[in-house]
Amino acid sequence: MSAPENVLEIRNVAVHFQGRAGLFGRSAHTVKAVNGVDLDILKGETVALVGESGCGKSTLSNTIVGLQPPTTGSIRLGEDEVVGATGRALNDIRRKVQMIFQDPALSLDPRFKIGAAIAEPLQVRGIARGKALKQRVSELLVQVGLRYEHADRYPHQLSGGQRQRVVIARALALEPALVVCDEPVSALDVSVRAQILNLLVALQKRTGVSYLFVSHDLAVVRHICDRVVVMYLGRFVEIADRDTFFANPKHPYAKALMAAVPEADPERQRNKEGNKERYILSGELPSPSNIPSGCAFHTRCPLATDICTRDRPELTPRADGALVACHHA
Amino acid sequence: MGEETTPLLTVDNLTIEIAGANVVDGVSFTVARGEVLALVGESGCGKSLTSYAMLGLLPPAARRIAGRILLEGTDLAAMSERQLRKARGKDISIIFQEPSASLDPLTTVGSQIASAFRQHHAVSGTEAFARARDMLVAVGIPDADHRLHQYPFELSGGMCQRIMIAIALICGPRVLVADEPTTALDVTIQAQILDLMKQLVATSGTSIVFITHDMGVVADIADHVAVMYAGRIAEIAPVRDLFARPAHPYTALLLASVPRLDITPKANLATIEGSVPFPNEFGYGCRFASRCPLATDRCRAEQPPLFEQGGGHRSACWHINRVHELKENAA
Repeated sequence: MSAPENVLEIRNVAVHFQGRAGLFGRSAHTVKAVNGVDLDILKGETVALVGESGCGKSTLSNTIVGLQPPTTGSIRLGEDEVVGATGRALNDIRRKVQMIFQDPALSLDPRFKIGAAIAEPLQVRGIARGKALKQRVSELLVQVGLRYEHADRYPHQLSGGQRQRVVIARALALEPALVVCDEPVSALDVSVRAQILNLLVALQKRTGVSYLFVSHDLAVVRHICDRVVVMYLGRFVEIADRDTFFANPKHPYAKALMAAVPEADPERQRNKEGNKERYILSGELPSPSNIPSGCAFHTRCPLATDICTRDRPELTPRADGALVACHHA
Repeated sequence: MGEETTPLLTVDNLTIEIAGANVVDGVSFTVARGEVLALVGESGCGKSLTSYAMLGLLPPAARRIAGRILLEGTDLAAMSERQLRKARGKDISIIFQEPSASLDPLTTVGSQIASAFRQHHAVSGTEAFARARDMLVAVGIPDADHRLHQYPFELSGGMCQRIMIAIALICGPRVLVADEPTTALDVTIQAQILDLMKQLVATSGTSIVFITHDMGVVADIADHVAVMYAGRIAEIAPVRDLFARPAHPYTALLLASVPRLDITPKANLATIEGSVPFPNEFGYGCRFASRCPLATDRCRAEQPPLFEQGGGHRSACWHINRVHELKENAA
């Protein structure tokens, strides 16, 4: 599967956090945030990573950009192995992957003018200076739908949507192969979300960048992604192409996520009520420090049987190409 | 539904000023008994200020300069702080977006619920605790006896929101104001909380003013919807009517810009150009005019009143008969 056009190859990545021993010497828990996952992202592809809070999606994205070393496993960005790289080598690799966070107000230094914020990565890497630097900053601003005048403003003088555009411009300044977008539109107003989603799509068409799009909003995911990865308690439970996934999600957890999304259509929303009842998950995500045996989802699953409590299902391919980890789906 | 009965809650011409700008400007609506009214809008549209005003919780910088808030004929806006303390919890309650920020981290959830009850009832601690336990069962918390003695940090976000609902409802208020109660929760938990709220409305007849920016949540829970923009009501309608026949350009564009789960996406989402004006940029006319594709000189000069469309559907737009064009363009 290691075709040359993969921008990202993750193999068997696990991230465990060792808890401290308790106050009265109770044994320490290990939080298994990510528990052995494999994933490839192709050039120009958008892969969505979905799941509830606590499922490990943010830990995995931090690991991919090198903010969190994995406990085991390999992460390759193009030809380069991220795990174990240090110093200069790591710095060079990091240039290929950038990150966009949820809240643009927290991602921008309030005392940096916009132009300086976008110029910083270019200066740090010694890519451009003087007139060329100004030129490049100007191009980037225009690329994300702002004007050069914005370079002289401070973040507080911009609206939330404009700030997220600045963050996107800065992420693209180094022409990365992959941008990890961690809930990039959830903090934005509804009327501005569509602008930013359209911008991300347009930039991908122009530059061929790949996105790992972390989100809990399945409607946004359907709009933007090529492939969907569903994560539950540190493992992938379903991986499928967009249209396959939305036509027929197979894992009971994926079905439950879909059923839980309230749709902006009162008729449909109220008609599915009877149907939806079946799939409203009782209970909540178990703690990742104490993951249930067998299939981690069996404690909330409407289909669970004996085998689910004993044997952990592996991801297996289905007729339509989806990979699903379930004994009964 | 409930159109003919006298309204339980009437907000009449509510106007709130911050630093010389009317950030809530002439807002009027009514809520019938057992009805869920959704106040929808983006940040800065005044939906939260409107709800805080109902409980006398406006921040110091904000000042109510006009308007009445009538709960069965009693004007909450005219009440003294002392009278308000008697009304809060008993007549009208509120729950907020972030439950963990609303709960006292140093007190067990049981005593927090019980103290809300004792605020309005002279009963013993034991009896108040018994009521708290019943309430935990009512909001669907399993193993109530054990949970009563736990602290907020021991509970998940969804559980904490159930506790907040228990506190808000234990004295049987007639109106519950819910300010984005599910925004901080996962969709699976959101579905549970929305179902709980629907069930509580059905059994207790409590009316809910539900503040949200999520059109999906509106479609799920609301009976009536008031869409707010820059401090004014742009459109107000029964929920099915609003989604089927939006009569304000802002509503139409908002609905078209929300990605849909049930439709295979097109290349581009419809967008609303620009962003919400700051209060110091409000002009004389329609506040949406700067972003509206239908705007004319009249829109920029003259504020449109809410025009009745029949069946309680009202829209503040000079060009209602052209709004359908926007929908067709987006489709």
